[in-house]
Amino acid sequence: MKGIITSFLVVVFVFATQSCADKEPIGPESPTDSFDRGALLTDIADNVIIPGYTRYATDVTNLDLIANIFANNPTTDGLFQTKIDFRKAYLTWQSVSIFEIGKAESLALRNNTNIFPANVSEIEENIAIGDYNLVLPSKVDEQGFPALDYLLYGTAESESEVVEYFINNDNAKKYLTDLTSRLTSLANEVRDDWTNGYRESFIENDGSSATSSLNKLVNDYLFYYEKFLRAGKVGIPAGVFSGNPLPNKVEGLYSETNSKLLFLAGLDASKEFFLGSSSYNDEIGESLKSYIDYLDQDDNNLSGRILAQFEVIQSKANGLEDNFVQQIEMDNVKMLETYDELQKNVVLLKVDMLQTLNIKVDFVDTDGD
Amino acid sequence: MAKYINIKSIALLSVATALTLGSCGDDEPEVNVPVTYEFLRDGASTVSFTGQTTRILMAEELSAAMKDLSQSATGLQELFANENATGGDVSPFSDTDLNASTKSIRSKVAASKDLFSTNTAETATIKTQIDQWIAAQAGEVFLNKEELAEAGKAGQIADGTSTRYISAKGLEYNQAVTKSLIGALMADQILNNYLSTAVLDEASNIADNDAGTVADGKAYTNMEHKWDEAYGYLFGKSSSTASPLVDLGADNFLNKYLSRVEGDDDFAGIAQEIFDAFKEGRAAIVSGAYETRDKQGDIIKEKISDVIGIRAVYYLQQGKKAIEAEDFGGAFHDLSEGFGFVYSLRFTRDEGSNNSKFSGSEVESYTSQLLEGNGFWDVTPSTLDAISESIAEKFDFTVAEAAE
Repeated sequence: MKGIITSFLVVVFVFATQSCADKEPIGPESPTDSFDRGALLTDIADNVIIPGYTRYATDVTNLDLIANIFANNPTTDGLFQTKIDFRKAYLTWQSVSIFEIGKAESLALRNNTNIFPANVSEIEENIAIGDYNLVLPSKVDEQGFPALDYLLYGTAESESEVVEYFINNDNAKKYLTDLTSRLTSLANEVRDDWTNGYRESFIENDGSSATSSLNKLVNDYLFYYEKFLRAGKVGIPAGVFSGNPLPNKVEGLYSETNSKLLFLAGLDASKEFFLGSSSYNDEIGESLKSYIDYLDQDDNNLSGRILAQFEVIQSKANGLEDNFVQQIEMDNVKMLETYDELQKNVVLLKVDMLQTLNIKVDFVDTDGD
Repeated sequence: MAKYINIKSIALLSVATALTLGSCGDDEPEVNVPVTYEFLRDGASTVSFTGQTTRILMAEELSAAMKDLSQSATGLQELFANENATGGDVSPFSDTDLNASTKSIRSKVAASKDLFSTNTAETATIKTQIDQWIAAQAGEVFLNKEELAEAGKAGQIADGTSTRYISAKGLEYNQAVTKSLIGALMADQILNNYLSTAVLDEASNIADNDAGTVADGKAYTNMEHKWDEAYGYLFGKSSSTASPLVDLGADNFLNKYLSRVEGDDDFAGIAQEIFDAFKEGRAAIVSGAYETRDKQGDIIKEKISDVIGIRAVYYLQQGKKAIEAEDFGGAFHDLSEGFGFVYSLRFTRDEGSNNSKFSGSEVESYTSQLLEGNGFWDVTPSTLDAISESIAEKFDFTVAEAAE
């Protein structure tokens, strides 16, 4: 027995030394990463996030104004104007939806702005009773753009009937302006926070811990890309997760013409986030792209592959109907193909990019209970 | 990494060798282990555990109703006890078969032979605790369903796009109840009751089993049936009772969390180990090889206890991470699940003894630390770490292994 143990020990020893000798270094000897994360954060804050929120706050303020005018005196012309401002603000929203950090995170801005599909029966109950507390988390699908989409487009068949609906329903007028005013105050609060000090603390938090600005923001970006852009706008209505298409889950269901535009705006925002100011400015600041290029010593052209994939998605999406409901009902395969192209960039972003940046994913799928 | 695997497998080899040598000269009958969990006598299956499936289904209905804001305390309690306050018959379930049953969840809570047959005072305390959580779900939380929760006030809190309904201390009572039942009902019945020699060998079970004397009007011997009842609390909702690993995660209780632990690379293989032990132990009963049976029982006791310990630490650590990120809705949800698994630790088994790994007072010390003051609103990452460490110390896993 003793002999057996000794020979085991010898074997163990051999294995141990062998595995040490064979050990491959993990990737190239990575130099201390001296990339200027602060410069990246500055670029994204000053050239993407703050201008985005400023435009968005302006657009929802305009929407609120015009909605109040309409509510005071519902006319076909007023409805038309309100719809124009609604669409403008909804599109601008897409450019800031990614940035659920700081005040936007603590206010749950995205949940209170764009959870779809809207819960129509609850909305109708709120209007009928005239009493509701929109601050409650259970009310997220009774407000924001999807609820406005229903009020402006879904409450009656024709435009003149929608106008009639508001003329005869004071509670509906109030609900409309309560929604636009809540959107406006939330937007202002977030913009003001960025311009009154949060910008500085955001930029100063330039380390590489899990709670650093960049690690958090990149996670927010991936979460947005995966859950809201890929799944919410395309995958869920196309039936990727349910087996059957669910066309009543498209974004902008009632306006019937906005779903593709809203998706393309979200796609643009995703690309812009990746490129920073370099997406429209020759004087290039630091961006995720430049950070990846800096770290990509093997010349894998990761950033090029990610950008090329964005182009593929875009051209795929360009071939879709303006109204995704129509697309799903006519030829859902094109929706599924768009989803597949979106998914390819999930792999590049979530696996390859995060590995390169050495950032860990901080969200997991909940188990649904 | 490679060298650790080698050492480990060599260690296993030597253990295996030692075991083989050790079992030489033993006069245990040979055990023929089938490929699937299928056992026949005269061509008829001897495997049966309908009562366990029934209780899992009852628990599923209770668990779902705990999230239904229109439920009353009375309605919830009837789902738990399947009787009214005066012991009268009720029909609280949506499934008519469950209404026809005289079984209930509550009667089997903290009711195992080994831990509670001479400890009925603690049984009563545990049943009453669960009664109180159920009552408070309606009386405290549902009452405040249109309020925003804050420290000291029950109501709603957002967790991502979900809305959670929490107590004044941040606890989701539905999670507390569901996750506590994993210990108090499923694990307790499996580990401390049906796999107990006191139950398996009760009365003339050994003689009957040796002689192949079946229970009145049944195809199985009493001992075979006890073992299957243990199996049923884990696999009672599986689509294939013979090969239940094909749809691991078939219920919302022990089976689901075995699947979660299986999904963690640090513990992959555990589901197969548990299934194999059930199968070999059952085959051992058929052969009358009782030492082999009990050895397999010990494996099951150890591994199912691991599942509860791992999930308790996992959720406490996830909750800690969320608190550090100031995501209170997410944190409270994790801590609520963790709270239930911590409560379930009482029903784990220190294999080789007749006791749990955790005494009632140890578990109470954890739960009272979690709920002290304003509860989850106040609890600190260092408290969560300390409890996690204290739990992991009793097992063969580390906090880090369980945490991700």
